[in-house]
Amino acid sequence: MKLNLTIQPRFRLNFSPLVWVLLTLMGIAFVVAMTRYIFGIGAISDLSYSYPWGFWISFDLFTGVVISSGGFLMAGTVYILGIKEFQPLLRPSILTAFIGYVMVSIALLVDLGQPLRIWYMMIHWNGTSVLLEIGICVMSYLTVLAIEFAPVVLERFPKLHNIAHLIHKFIMPFVILGVVLSTLHQSSLGSLLLIQPAKLHPLWWTPILPIMFFTSAISVGLAMIIFESSLSSRYFQRGLETHLLEKLAKAIPVVLVIYAVLKFGELAVAGDLGYLFTSGIMSILFWAEILIGVVTPIIWFSIKKNRTSPNGLLTGAIIVLLGMILNRFNVSWFAVKHPDPMFYLPTFMSNVSYFPTLPEVAVSIGIFAAGILAFGLAAKYLPVFEDEEEIHHQQA
Amino acid sequence: MTEIKHHAYLFDATRCIDCRACMVACSVENNIDMDKTRIWVAGIGIKGEYPDLQRGTMVYHCMHCDHPDCMSACPVGAYTKAEDGPVTYNPDLCIGCRYCMNACPFGVPHFDYDKGIIEGAFIDKCTFCPQRIYNGQEPACVETCPTDALEYGDREELIAKAHARIAEHPTRYIDHVYGEFENGGTSYLILSHVPFSELGLPNLPETPVNEVSEKVMEMTIPFALGWGAVLSGVAAGVNLYNKKKEEAATQQKEDAVK
Repeated sequence: MKLNLTIQPRFRLNFSPLVWVLLTLMGIAFVVAMTRYIFGIGAISDLSYSYPWGFWISFDLFTGVVISSGGFLMAGTVYILGIKEFQPLLRPSILTAFIGYVMVSIALLVDLGQPLRIWYMMIHWNGTSVLLEIGICVMSYLTVLAIEFAPVVLERFPKLHNIAHLIHKFIMPFVILGVVLSTLHQSSLGSLLLIQPAKLHPLWWTPILPIMFFTSAISVGLAMIIFESSLSSRYFQRGLETHLLEKLAKAIPVVLVIYAVLKFGELAVAGDLGYLFTSGIMSILFWAEILIGVVTPIIWFSIKKNRTSPNGLLTGAIIVLLGMILNRFNVSWFAVKHPDPMFYLPTFMSNVSYFPTLPEVAVSIGIFAAGILAFGLAAKYLPVFEDEEEIHHQQA
Repeated sequence: MTEIKHHAYLFDATRCIDCRACMVACSVENNIDMDKTRIWVAGIGIKGEYPDLQRGTMVYHCMHCDHPDCMSACPVGAYTKAEDGPVTYNPDLCIGCRYCMNACPFGVPHFDYDKGIIEGAFIDKCTFCPQRIYNGQEPACVETCPTDALEYGDREELIAKAHARIAEHPTRYIDHVYGEFENGGTSYLILSHVPFSELGLPNLPETPVNEVSEKVMEMTIPFALGWGAVLSGVAAGVNLYNKKKEEAATQQKEDAVK
């Protein structure tokens, strides 16, 4: 295995304006987080007895996890299905997933009331809790991702090539474990809401929520790979594997049609079709999510021209992401109705409505900024992007 | 008092005069701030037209469900359901995720939003006054109630009592004991003269709301093992196929050379 490491730039930080902006956002988030740790969650957020989960859960947990699903999709495609041509997309996807999960974990440590006790999840198990499953899966999967990504770091150091080679040799069990863990917790995020049939609007509450979440996670993962490849090809001035992305783009409508059939089939079976037009703002949110996240991408990616042009690919991916992120916000926040405020007046100490505060959003943005910076640094100093020719060269 | 097999409360909305002595009693007994009381009272205002005016008050605290959703949801098992009724919370295990607050259909568990990590932010909820009931006393809220709107006793006996009261005054009460079957049965039983939804109580089925999620959780490990086996099989199959294809290709090459 011969990697041309001489072309790698030396490790020297380059403080472009973008980096300064990112660092500032991170600094603000850090200060806000410290305030929260000293004075409590109420000091910086609008969370209340009626609304214990808000923006952090919808954005950091639900969105963060779903946009990191590209990692297991690519690992599964390349290693388990043995489709080696997708190799150039593998490392960037795993990096995105790894950074995504680290971001999720950091954000949850801000949201958690007792962040120092997060490890209790490893020893005190309550088997009926969906959240326990998610906690265990996310922790284990983070480890798996670290192992999958380790060779990329190790290759940077010529003396450690042996270890990289060793990991590569025994990667298969980890890939399988990673796919199983991902399947479990991507779907279990949906299961989290299963315990709220009385609170979640019937347009979203269904016993097959886990299946819906897993199906949509696949479409988001594919869109995210396209999105992330397109952006890095623009930002790092490198080639775009359009012929590979086209294949992913072709798969998106298939997944979304399955999603739509499941969604409307379930509504029909449960007899909830009436809510489609009679629930006011909920009906509007539902149709917004379906039109943006499902219908438009199906049409968009069915047109060959959109699949082959870099702009068409990026636009389509953004549409899928927007629609599905709206879905995650709907399920975890907008469509969750907590007990009627009138009767919660007696919890006079509590807010009866919820709207995220600026500091709350600032935490999420700061963590997101850190993620972008980490991706940029990794892309610059680690052999994340392998040129296709090089890979063919290696394999030969 | 006879021996109590299953501790329970009975609340009669027609008897409550909104004096809120129960809130004070609870705060004093359990030594908690008034603004964090584990029991709270809501008046639903005056309804109807003169001379048929009605007013109602509802006293809320933990329902002590027979199939507690907080307990089902808690990842670290900080909740326990005693066989004789009370649902209790153990702050030593709590990680502060607040999933119990989401899971509880009655919005009962409360969280210390004003505490940082040094003091420790915990959940708080009604404990059923174990220090009192296991010493032959009534819970603080019940003992202090001046109109017997809150009563305490054995669940079976209280249900019988509630139905007897409905039979005695069929025009006064709605013919239903809330909590007898709701959410799989609760240990806080409610009698009312107005529809229960007007008291702010959710309309729940007789099956506990955690039923579906617990069923899904039961399938998790078998599913994980099965899915892992399938993936391993596919990986092995693909590997074998690719190897054979390669062998065939080299064979062909060799043949061609020959």
